[in-house]
Amino acid sequence: MNLIRVAALAQKEWREILRDRLFFSLSFVVPALLMLLFGYGLSLDVENIPFAIHDLDRTPQSRDYAYRFIHSRYFDFKGYVTGEAQAQQLLGQGSVRAVIVIDRNFGRELSADRPAHVQTLLDGTFPYRTQVTKGYITAINTAVTRELLADYMVRVKGLSPSRAQDAVDPVRLEVRYLYNQGLKSSWGVASKLIMALLLMCPPFLTALGVVREKESGAIYNIYASNATRAEFLVGKLNPYFCIAFINAMVLWAMACFLFGAPFKGSATAFLFATVLYVLCSTGIGLLISILVGSQVAAMIVTAVVTAMPSMLYSGLLTPVASMNWTARGVAAVFPAMYYGRIIESCFLKGLGWGNAWGDMLVLAGYGAGLFAVGYAMFHKRGKT
Amino acid sequence: MSAASLDGILGSGRAARLRIWLRRAWALTVKEYIQLFRDTVLVLFMAYAFTLDVYVAGVGVNWQLNNAGLGVHDADKSTASREVAGRFRAPYFRNLGSVATREAGQRLLDQGGLMVVLDFPPDFGADILRGRQTAIQMQVDTANSAIGSLATSYGGEIVGRYGLERALNVPELNVDKIHGVPFIIDETRAWYNQNQEDSWFMALAEIISNMTLLSILLPAAALAREKERGTVEQLMVSPLSPVQILAPKILAMGSVILAGLAAGVFAVVIGVFHVPARGSLLLFFAVSALYIAFTAGIGLLIATIARNLAQVGMLTVLVFAPMIFLSGAWTPPEAMPSWMRLLMDCLPMHYMLDAGFGILLKGQGVGELWRELLGIIGLGAPILALSLWRFRRQFR
Repeated sequence: MNLIRVAALAQKEWREILRDRLFFSLSFVVPALLMLLFGYGLSLDVENIPFAIHDLDRTPQSRDYAYRFIHSRYFDFKGYVTGEAQAQQLLGQGSVRAVIVIDRNFGRELSADRPAHVQTLLDGTFPYRTQVTKGYITAINTAVTRELLADYMVRVKGLSPSRAQDAVDPVRLEVRYLYNQGLKSSWGVASKLIMALLLMCPPFLTALGVVREKESGAIYNIYASNATRAEFLVGKLNPYFCIAFINAMVLWAMACFLFGAPFKGSATAFLFATVLYVLCSTGIGLLISILVGSQVAAMIVTAVVTAMPSMLYSGLLTPVASMNWTARGVAAVFPAMYYGRIIESCFLKGLGWGNAWGDMLVLAGYGAGLFAVGYAMFHKRGKT
Repeated sequence: MSAASLDGILGSGRAARLRIWLRRAWALTVKEYIQLFRDTVLVLFMAYAFTLDVYVAGVGVNWQLNNAGLGVHDADKSTASREVAGRFRAPYFRNLGSVATREAGQRLLDQGGLMVVLDFPPDFGADILRGRQTAIQMQVDTANSAIGSLATSYGGEIVGRYGLERALNVPELNVDKIHGVPFIIDETRAWYNQNQEDSWFMALAEIISNMTLLSILLPAAALAREKERGTVEQLMVSPLSPVQILAPKILAMGSVILAGLAAGVFAVVIGVFHVPARGSLLLFFAVSALYIAFTAGIGLLIATIARNLAQVGMLTVLVFAPMIFLSGAWTPPEAMPSWMRLLMDCLPMHYMLDAGFGILLKGQGVGELWRELLGIIGLGAPILALSLWRFRRQFR
């Protein structure tokens, strides 16, 4: 490989990028802007669930019970409904996600020390939200039941209030959140967004690189030149790799300083892994560019192959481990999963080389594989 | 409509002009079809996006707590500790056995082998028997907070239930067995998706996302390509109005996207995942057609801004990524900050998702969906008009 020729090709590519001012500025603005938006907005901490209460009982007991939900920070009270039809309408519109129906004899049963019934109607369209809502409701119901039972034991069995407290709540669960105290998803999300955005944006930079020259015919200059295939590809990749790497550093700084994600692990390990990962993600775009015949196709393929999977299958929203084998297969095909694990150990877990080298090896192999396939599929003699 | 009846309605001069107008627009539409279908790779990936991709998203992406690896550090080894640990079971948890020390548990959490470690204190069983309050420590890997919060929630439920059973001294918390004590019995029902199938949500969200992506990108690329190559100049000197140039693009791309959507809905969403389609499918496709046409307006607007396809690519990411993210296809809107939910109300895709779920899962009709329809039309029409205005201004 002749480095002078590589440099010449890279320089030509740089000049082309720099002259396209809108493209050049967008290539830096887009990832940073998406980081801001996703970083502040991408959260799975479901709170303020809008709900309504259908109180068939209207006794002091039922009102006390209702207040437990109304005052909870997890719920956002939208008012009492008067009938089943109204409950159905509100759930249908999506203006409430849960309706709590308090049974007609609620107060009477509790006063007589008997179990009382409530019913919860949930909007099931988004199962995750439904599960979380159900969890909150169960927790509040358990707390109410405990208080009722403690009160009952004091009254009927003559226990002291503190003994009754212990009796109804014999085992407490002390939850310790590792790596992410306070269960703030913005932390974990900000660090993982580096991974997702570096798979989403760089392929779009490179996707048109080769196919544009094919469409405009400029590629014949390369066909006729003494630059080899490898020199052409390396020169082509050079500026896009640099842009993507600068983006990576900007995103890292934003994650650490703007979102306060703790970077506890090894900086060199992270840097090395990032170089490999950026090579992979720009390489995917370049490979697409080599394989397809038109710029439009290159863009559609890039969008379908990287934009959606970068979010869905990278472990950003749901962990890869809980996917079924088909989706895990898809996840394994993308470099994001491996880099995601390295990010997790560098950011949240404070680990370094020792844990990451296996995934780095995969990334290195991935990048080499992309380049090898691209090299094999790129012909200097156009098929006619 | 036959030529004669057109003549009758409009008078022969106007009818002839309309016929010519339509014929010209149709000729361009045919040109777009030909160009689209000659690109085999493009057609293949569109087919993939509407079928296989939707299938994988539906079958694979799982929002449930599923087989979360659980380790137990039991310093007590009593009947009580064993019983509580035994209740952390499938489908939520998978007990991978005991860990000898806390450090070993920590190490397994670090490596990602475990998600949850339960830690029982030495006199756990004795305290329970004596009626003294005791505590279990639960360490949760919350690097992924969705699953972390579900694990915490289920853990709390299991331990809470166990506590109430001890308090009432019953072997099992069964509605029929509780008498004579005050107690809240809650019966939960999830409407519209009783069995809580993630595949229903994921498949629909994915197909609507892909439809949006293609509705933006295809028209944008088709117009930007003409600008880049200069063929748009050819169109400008031809006797075609800007509407006649743009409408065929929307018609050709839109109809292909709609056909893809139909294939995906019948083959995958209904065929494989058995989404019930409680409302009218005709209404669903009509709303989708409307949505595709207006979303194409966003694509055309991008094409009037961009000079070449590389710019179109970057601008599409800039527009599409926030759009899908804020629409509620990936995260529940209730999890977003309030200012973002305001932004959300300005996105046509948000209304399309609501309409899609409304028609297919909730069985809603036009009467209940007026807000969504208003959103799709009220936001889409001005964008389409703006792109038309910009296109006209650029080339006149």
